[in-house]
Amino acid sequence: MMRKIAVAVTLGLALLALYGCGKQAAAPVKLTVWDVFDPTTPGGGKAYAEKYAEYQKLNPGIVLEHDIMTYDQLKQKAIVAGQAQQGPDVLHMLGEWVPDFVKMDILADLSDQMKSWADFDKFPPSTWNVASVGGKIYGVPITASTRVLLYRSDLFAKYGIQVPETWTDMRAAAKQLTDDLHRDGNTDDYGMGWCSATSAIRGPQEFAVLLWSTGADFVKQDGGKWVPAFTADQATSVYQLYADMMFVDHSLPPSSIGWEWQQLDPAFQTGEVAMEQNGAWMSGRAQQAPNGKDWKTAPFPYDKVPATYLEVKVDGVSKFSTHQAQAVDLLKWLFSRDNMVFLAGTDNLPSRIDSEQSSAWVPDPVWKGTFLHTVKDGHAMPQIPFGPALKFTMDDLQEVFYKRMTPAQAGQDFYNKVSSYLDSSVNNQ
Amino acid sequence: MMKRDGTSYLYFLPLALFIALIYLYPFASAVSLSLHDVNYLEPGRHRFVGLGNFLRLLGDPLFVPATEHSVVFTVGSVVFEYLVGLSSALVLNSPFVGLKNVSKALVLLPWAVPIAINSLIWQFMLSPDFGFIDQFLSLIGFRSLSEATWLTNLSLVMPTVIAVNVWRSFPFYTIVLTAGLATIPRELYEAAEVDGAARFSRFWHVTLPGIRRVSAVIVTFHVIWTFTNFDVIYLLTDGGPLHASEVLPTVLYHQAFVQFDMGYASSIGVFLLGVLSLTAGPLYSRLNR
Repeated sequence: MMRKIAVAVTLGLALLALYGCGKQAAAPVKLTVWDVFDPTTPGGGKAYAEKYAEYQKLNPGIVLEHDIMTYDQLKQKAIVAGQAQQGPDVLHMLGEWVPDFVKMDILADLSDQMKSWADFDKFPPSTWNVASVGGKIYGVPITASTRVLLYRSDLFAKYGIQVPETWTDMRAAAKQLTDDLHRDGNTDDYGMGWCSATSAIRGPQEFAVLLWSTGADFVKQDGGKWVPAFTADQATSVYQLYADMMFVDHSLPPSSIGWEWQQLDPAFQTGEVAMEQNGAWMSGRAQQAPNGKDWKTAPFPYDKVPATYLEVKVDGVSKFSTHQAQAVDLLKWLFSRDNMVFLAGTDNLPSRIDSEQSSAWVPDPVWKGTFLHTVKDGHAMPQIPFGPALKFTMDDLQEVFYKRMTPAQAGQDFYNKVSSYLDSSVNNQ
Repeated sequence: MMKRDGTSYLYFLPLALFIALIYLYPFASAVSLSLHDVNYLEPGRHRFVGLGNFLRLLGDPLFVPATEHSVVFTVGSVVFEYLVGLSSALVLNSPFVGLKNVSKALVLLPWAVPIAINSLIWQFMLSPDFGFIDQFLSLIGFRSLSEATWLTNLSLVMPTVIAVNVWRSFPFYTIVLTAGLATIPRELYEAAEVDGAARFSRFWHVTLPGIRRVSAVIVTFHVIWTFTNFDVIYLLTDGGPLHASEVLPTVLYHQAFVQFDMGYASSIGVFLLGVLSLTAGPLYSRLNR
């Protein structure tokens, strides 16, 4: 009997010891983060790496696995993983992806966690709108940056040109800035440059700013249905502007047909074009460019009303994350006031309204002032799945540039395509 | 003699399972998707449509031009890759060329560079105004040619992407054909020479038949790889401008990752497989006859 008791006690102690060891050696929580912030490239990447390391130091039970990719890869990977009911804990997104991802049912609803966050009111409602679909919040709006007119102040001074305020001013300025410097019959410098590649990411954003400034919007709800919030005439006036600058004023480089930002930004940097629509991240290039001190910013010229693209980037949590609470804690820490200002660096502007009170905030009239000033005119992309329809903007622009359609035909075609897309892909759900 | 029993097949089982997992399952899944209406934007939408996606493909306004471009891209690339590859292999095989290993390594460089980097370098080199190609043409006096917009001109874009693809792929032909040339017995050339065969005659009657089998393999593989090639055109033009360089793989990509229409995209993939199954086998048999 005693022997049996001794064996039982020994076994019990051994189990207790094993349990204790198990508790002591509990595996740390691994949070996977998918984003685009590469610490080996200039800009915010280093800042993110620094903050991720700091968070792990403050939270020894958390291990961060940081997967870096380009925006294209990020979107594809999120979609494919989502279909396999998988995904990262933290997912970085462009604002316009949120409605698509919500419709794919791959994002966690963070409404309760966000609304109960003490910092909730520190973000403007317009930024929460981008992170929300159908009244539910799916992430933290981590940056809020507008698009402005980026121009060469030295060339403006050389030709005695005032900063343009309207489309008419812009056309006149672009025409004046277009010059045959070598007097050999070939134009060397052009007034303006746009993105127009079929697959351009920035092209539709430039187009959107022009469309909004006609007083229109992309979509609106009418009797429970989504319909275009612009007329064919308003779209026509946008295509007319592009066509006039290319074929009437000759103030766009003829070779710029098909440009994406990879061609446009170097063209601005080398002086081939004197104006473009761009964002705050160009401050990094300005610091490296020999003529960077001459790069200045102004609100983008408008047609009927001042308008710009309020680009909000969002960090969300995958619906399939098994550590959603820890992922939300990470987001709240990363985007507390001082951390957000530190992370925004020179790439984008922080979305918090209390950013200027942070000790990390460095005032800058060119690369921050103009952008903050234009937030009030900011528009977001439609909060419905609209990505496929944005491609139509560039398809029709190419039709105009290759003279296969007149601006009026392109405007009507764009209207028809958007109507058809809304009926077939949005209203029939 | 070893006794054949059922247990010997068990040794193949892990390999068979592995192949089934990485090849047959995705293949069956793609075929199944092609018969369904599946759009990732609508997780609940998953209904059987039979051949509906294939009928939709035949009626797609992009189908005919994209198929034509795919054929032009494949034939243009493979023909020029073979010609350039064979020419460089003959040069490398020549007794007058020294430092053979170094020369082979240099020829291999375009093939060794990752496709993405290769395409991006070419994109910059072909940039109008400040790209290397236009600058070089201007420097040597071809000012009018230097104003060409290689990747945005509707007539020039397809020859340009073919040229970039040829530049990227020809080294593979060079290396394989060099190996093929080395297997031709020297006695055949000596006998032909004794018979009074001229240089071209020796090439036609000895060299070409000697590399026929290796040529059949490499051409067949490259027809398959080029017809399904996506990366070069996607990175250089994304099928533009105005679909002038659109090929079936780029249409597939846009349907899958821009429109998220996976059922339709899969039907394009299955169509590509069908076309290649019907053409690549007979092509190989014909070349290898």
